[in-house]
Amino acid sequence: MPNVLRADGITVKFGGVTAVNNVSLSLGSGEILGLIGPNGAGKTTLFNAVTGFAPMHSGRITLLDKDITALPAFKRTRLGFGRTFQTERPFEELTVLENVLIAAFLTVGRRSEAERLAMNVLEQVGLADRAHQPALDLNLARRRRLELAKALAVKPKVIFLDEIMAGLNPPALREMIAFVRSLSGQGLAVLMVEHIMEAIIELSDHVIVLASGEKIAEGTSHQVTSNERVIEAYLGTD
Amino acid sequence: MIKHLIGLGVLLAIGMTYPAIFPNNLTIAISVLLFAGWATSWDLLGGWNGQVSLGHASFVGLGAYFVAIGQSQFGLAPWWTMAMAAAVAAVLAYFWGWLTFSLRGPYFSLSTIAVAEILRLVAINEEWLTGGATGVFIATLPEPFGVDLFSRTAQFYMALAFAGVVIATVIVVSRARFGYQLRAVREDEDSAMAAGIDPTATKLKAFMLSAALTSIGGGIYGIVLAFIEPHVIFALLLSVQIALTAIIGGRGTIWGPAVGALVLIGAGEIFRTTFAEANMLIYGILILVVVLFVPRGIVGELARRHIRRLYAKRA
Repeated sequence: MPNVLRADGITVKFGGVTAVNNVSLSLGSGEILGLIGPNGAGKTTLFNAVTGFAPMHSGRITLLDKDITALPAFKRTRLGFGRTFQTERPFEELTVLENVLIAAFLTVGRRSEAERLAMNVLEQVGLADRAHQPALDLNLARRRRLELAKALAVKPKVIFLDEIMAGLNPPALREMIAFVRSLSGQGLAVLMVEHIMEAIIELSDHVIVLASGEKIAEGTSHQVTSNERVIEAYLGTD
Repeated sequence: MIKHLIGLGVLLAIGMTYPAIFPNNLTIAISVLLFAGWATSWDLLGGWNGQVSLGHASFVGLGAYFVAIGQSQFGLAPWWTMAMAAAVAAVLAYFWGWLTFSLRGPYFSLSTIAVAEILRLVAINEEWLTGGATGVFIATLPEPFGVDLFSRTAQFYMALAFAGVVIATVIVVSRARFGYQLRAVREDEDSAMAAGIDPTATKLKAFMLSAALTSIGGGIYGIVLAFIEPHVIFALLLSVQIALTAIIGGRGTIWGPAVGALVLIGAGEIFRTTFAEANMLIYGILILVVVLFVPRGIVGELARRHIRRLYAKRA
């Protein structure tokens, strides 16, 4: 499978602390890559470095063979990145539709067409009936879906999902898992940081395990969950 | 958008009859209209884009000085000098924004105070051009189609047209892609970047548009004053008044700044005549009350209640 996204030797340092050390990953279209690890392993930092929201110390990132290492986050978005934020960040003063409209305006200049695109995405995530409500009023599960809608409305080639399953109740979790699977079915490359192992095991074609900023294991979800070092990192040793 | 544009049209039509009905109260009306235009221009940057400027007197002053110097020293008609002032204001805004917009937090606001101060010092020291601390005097003006631009009636219509153009601009922007980019950057720069928006470029555009519009109103103000002194036109007080007008009326709303101008300038005038010495005190208390109890501003609060009611009905 041709790579959509490649990140080689990503290293992120905060002062003297190395938060992510020489981690590489690659992702093909329609593929789901899960990124797991204990708290403080550097998952979100790696994620932010790849999407351009955290400065990198060294490493190289390519999107469809184009080097995007030096590009700011908004330019990466324009080239095909979509991302959600761990703490949902809706534009609270605006309606649900307007939130998505902002993202839709990236590819469509005319308001009527951008609104149509935004409505389509809202239907996809099941928020169409909330379109004209202030984003401030959404509950957690719906805020998550709004985050997803915003990420999808930029028409990405790679979508980065930062713990979108966390805190969802079982039915909402099932829906979200099915939805992410449908995204990869549409050919999107998905990179997800997740704590919910159920979601990782069901969805990931490939899993990378981080601990203390290092990649300690990589493989199918089955391979990594039976890996000694992974169990050690999660549970500790006696 | 159509609704707002029609509303604006109706208001302008009503406004046109004002000089015939209140021929002796034109000066105060001109003040209200100029402040409505300035505060609305300010709000493009301060309200819609969330970048509070405390230096908009710079652009008022640029407009006024361009018109005055152009007329008195070079015999240039005000419409040419206003266009030049708008271009220079936009360039100044670009340059200043380019220096300061990479800083997050209050640094931009603080730095804008310096702009007006620098311009004031330039105006005082470059006497050959600006007349120094004494100022510039506009002795003659052209008479387009036989209209005497020194008459308060003509000035009223200029101010009305200025306020109308600025409000119409905001109405159009508020519905357009650019208007949503402004709001996205105001709400959350990271989220905006995740939507492919360049925060710095967006702020620069907002600042340039805001500055250019403000300077056109400044040009009209120059004609109204006919005598421009650096310490009056580049005053921090004027910058603060422009910002307060928008904030009290309602930041980031179409009509808020205009309502703010009506309330603040109108109230200011009434207080001045009724309370004499105590007027600044009461003015201050009024501002305090609004900031404490109506932090969204008058129109902002009304709009919020309206949305709440609509939504409560539907749910």
